[in-house]
Amino acid sequence: MATVTEDPARRPPGALRRLGRSEHATGWALASPGVILIGIFGLLPVLLSLKLSFQKSDLLTPETPWVGTANYRKLFNDPVFAAAIEHTLIFTALFVPGTMLVGLLVAVAMNRSIRFISVYRTAAYVTMAVSTISEGIIFLWLTDKDYGLVNSALNAVGISSQPFLSSTSQALYVIVAMTIWGWTGFAVIIYLAALQGVPVELHEAAAIDGASPFTRFRTITVPLLSPASLFLVVWLTINALQLFDEVYLTTRGGPLRATTVIVYYLWDQAFVQFQAGYAAAMAYVLFVVILIITAIQFRISRRYVHYS
Amino acid sequence: MMRKMRACGIALGVTTALVLAGCSSSSDSGGESSNGVTKVVVWNGYTDAQAKNFTALMNEYNKANPNVQVSQLVSSSDQVLQKILTAVRGGTPPDVAYMFGSWAPNIAKIPQVVDMTSYVAQPEWNWADFYEGERAAATVKGKVIGVPALVDNLAIVYNKTLFKAAGVAPPTATWTWDDFTAAAKKLTVPAKKQYGWLMPGDGSEDTVWHFDAMLWEAGGDILTPDNTKAAFNSPAGVKALTTLQQMAQDKSVYVDTTNAQGTKLMNSGKLGMMVTGPWDLSSLPDIDYGVQIMPTYNGSSAGHQTISGPDNWVVFNNGSKREKAAVDFVKWLTAAAQVKTTSLASGDLPTRESVGQEQSFVEALNKKLPGSAVFVKNLSNVKKARPPVDQYPAVSEAMGQAIVSVLLGKAEPSAALDNAAKQVDAKLAGN
Amino acid sequence: MTPPVGASTATDAVRPSDDESGLEADQPERRRLRLPFSPWHLVLIPIAFILIIPLLWMLITSLLTPSEANQFPPVIIPRELRFQNYPDAFTTAPFGKFLLNSTIVTLVVVVSNLVVCSLAGYAFARMRFWGRSALFLALMATLMVPFQVTMIPVFLIVKWFGDNVWSFMGINHLGALMLPNLATAFGIFFLRQFFQTVPVELEEAARVDGTSRIGVLFKILLPLSLPAMSTLAALTILTSWNDFLWPLIVVTSQDQMTVPLGLSYFQGAHTTDWPLLMAGNVMSLLPMLVVFVVAQRYFVQSVAATGLKG
Repeated sequence: MATVTEDPARRPPGALRRLGRSEHATGWALASPGVILIGIFGLLPVLLSLKLSFQKSDLLTPETPWVGTANYRKLFNDPVFAAAIEHTLIFTALFVPGTMLVGLLVAVAMNRSIRFISVYRTAAYVTMAVSTISEGIIFLWLTDKDYGLVNSALNAVGISSQPFLSSTSQALYVIVAMTIWGWTGFAVIIYLAALQGVPVELHEAAAIDGASPFTRFRTITVPLLSPASLFLVVWLTINALQLFDEVYLTTRGGPLRATTVIVYYLWDQAFVQFQAGYAAAMAYVLFVVILIITAIQFRISRRYVHYS
Repeated sequence: MMRKMRACGIALGVTTALVLAGCSSSSDSGGESSNGVTKVVVWNGYTDAQAKNFTALMNEYNKANPNVQVSQLVSSSDQVLQKILTAVRGGTPPDVAYMFGSWAPNIAKIPQVVDMTSYVAQPEWNWADFYEGERAAATVKGKVIGVPALVDNLAIVYNKTLFKAAGVAPPTATWTWDDFTAAAKKLTVPAKKQYGWLMPGDGSEDTVWHFDAMLWEAGGDILTPDNTKAAFNSPAGVKALTTLQQMAQDKSVYVDTTNAQGTKLMNSGKLGMMVTGPWDLSSLPDIDYGVQIMPTYNGSSAGHQTISGPDNWVVFNNGSKREKAAVDFVKWLTAAAQVKTTSLASGDLPTRESVGQEQSFVEALNKKLPGSAVFVKNLSNVKKARPPVDQYPAVSEAMGQAIVSVLLGKAEPSAALDNAAKQVDAKLAGN
Repeated sequence: MTPPVGASTATDAVRPSDDESGLEADQPERRRLRLPFSPWHLVLIPIAFILIIPLLWMLITSLLTPSEANQFPPVIIPRELRFQNYPDAFTTAPFGKFLLNSTIVTLVVVVSNLVVCSLAGYAFARMRFWGRSALFLALMATLMVPFQVTMIPVFLIVKWFGDNVWSFMGINHLGALMLPNLATAFGIFFLRQFFQTVPVELEEAARVDGTSRIGVLFKILLPLSLPAMSTLAALTILTSWNDFLWPLIVVTSQDQMTVPLGLSYFQGAHTTDWPLLMAGNVMSLLPMLVVFVVAQRYFVQSVAATGLKG
């Protein structure tokens, strides 16, 4: 199974082997409260709505006739869905590494005991706590084609005004920037927690051996952060592929569907166009896409992720 | 391991129960407390003055009807549809909900929605007193599915100061679109980042209904009379969209692709004109504004028109006793006296013609919110309504994309409308 | 939670983390150039400013008059600070009750998540049991379907619980707000990843001494995972506190509303009362800031210093 990463328990030392007999029962016992709760309120709904994707449903009438794979077949001939997939993938490909890089740099900068450091860390946390509405409004203002501060700055250095969110070619990238901004705090918090696990001794030893700070960062810190990085890659990707709020609150998928991502299109089909069965089919195509990407991430991670 | 076993049992039970629940939706006979008081739950999206007014009316009704207890739930109107659809699925809809008029054809399909046709036929409802456009929007295939809760329409709201500064005469009731575009051009001052007009350019229904009014004034229609094919790609449609194209090309219109800034830009003195509804008037405290009906096309027999987006009170069936109580409350709430109170308290237009024709009332309303009188009078310019087909959301979406593509200079009017018409025809044919 | 040996030296342990990242060279010749404050402030102040722009905007907007709030480009320097917006917002609706509801729901959800997710996270990180990979995959799968799609089935399941198991869990009860969030695949995945970074040797020693799995988890792993646990707590509190769509769907009376739902009292169909909405938002944000400032103490506790050195 792709999700099995390097596993310390797979090679128990001799003394522990005896204890391994009850391992199955204990493992299940420990996992079961979570598994049951998530099974009922997470997995069961997923399976129930899978059914919907093979039905014609408008959410209004109780009749939901079976249509077989018609919803799925329709998807493959829907140019808007194809565009939505493209936008979603472009967004994810930029957002995930962007957020991780910014998050890592900021976390490293904040991982020191200087005065007011807790104020800085709180600032990072604040980006998660403020509502996406506020972020959306500020970005609408900053990037406004006529009255935005970004264009004023560009004009000041002799660059002409850009249309940003009102341009079909730029809007998606503005959304990427805005979403990175909103998620930086999350990556910072995760990396800050992970940085606490980097043993000081390793750095001290390497410093005595004459390793430069950058070398130490690359050869000690980055590998030791790899479990946190794997977590971030997976979690950010899952969220990026399901982007909705940032689009809903700013461009509403426009202009001319340039920022229509899968979940926005799905919401539009379900709750604006009343095509719930069709929307459910989209959700399961998306599900398969996420599943495959996540599986690949876990598989690749086996080579790079370093567990203690 | 006991816990595990028990939990597995629960999981199994849930699955079975869901299958069963799917077959027999439990009809809730509740809502009646032991002392015989019938409870009526109303979901609305009212805030501020509207909320205060509704609460006062509700309390008044409760006092006068001790055997009925009306209560309300304030719910973000933006996403209330998701809440209602889920509640209907779970068998727990409210008794009355405030719903946007554009949802009407779809709402009509919900079996729990009460058919009001026979109720409103009773003389004490005085149904014909509601404006024609409202009644049309509440009627789907001959079935009345709601009672008008709010009515509005589009008119020109203009900044008197900017008009004076540009040396342009204010809009008149006989303006043509040529007058409008010429004025917008003169009102545009690039150095001040000042525009003659603003057009919502997000491609939503907000974009579309601005165009609808122009389309009708040019003599066109959205769909063919039998609602089976697109009709907006007629010469009239091209004419209307060409007007928008010209304004976009000479940059006298701010195309608001995120549809967020309109009122604020107007209030900041950055716009000469807006085409908007009465709800915006209270958000323009910083400018000296005037209101005028929409211009029409030179020589058009269709004259000056506008579009109205009436919202409705929709009643859900939660057992006959609650239904009866809910209908009675809605009847009282939308009677002329309460319409007048609501209108004066909130600044909303009166939903009943008899109220709108009362001179002293219109004066009082206009005093409270200057410009309202024009909007009240403009209700008689509502001559057409959106086609009541349940594919309307798809019609609106196709038209919205066509309009925005022209506004952004990505397509020519006739090609864009033809392309949209093709999509609409396919949807109406059932694909 | 019993602190591990050496935890009392946590404050000392923070100090070496100063150049833990290795980016700051602590060479003697640089010392001469030292500013009266750490040069890192010059980096961190602009970063922090960019990060808190939305917060600043919220604060400013919450102090504007209605007329100022209706401007675009927005007013950044108000003529006067209208503090009255705060009491006005607070009295628009019973926000005291909403705060209480949010607090109850969030407390139950966070405690449940910490317990349930650490048990499961430990099992997935350290133990081999039948079906483990498939199970983990199934849990992760629940994160991959948008809530907009599963919303109605979740609603029906919760309603079933309310009708058949315990009415407190049913629609329009606080229990319904807690039930689907008592455990999250996010929490399990998060702790699984962090537990795997704790050196396995520490556990093995204890296990050889006869400590049970649970004992190892509570006596060794959890104390060493304080940064991860407090991070998860802070994130869970935040998610639960700000949850909007699910409460919107299940709450059908005012007395069960949470703070985010209460904020819809300022958002009408056509107009939004921005100053009051933002005043409400700031009031909703304050408890979260307090939580973070408290949780932060544990964020920085160095695993290496407390565990290995002690």
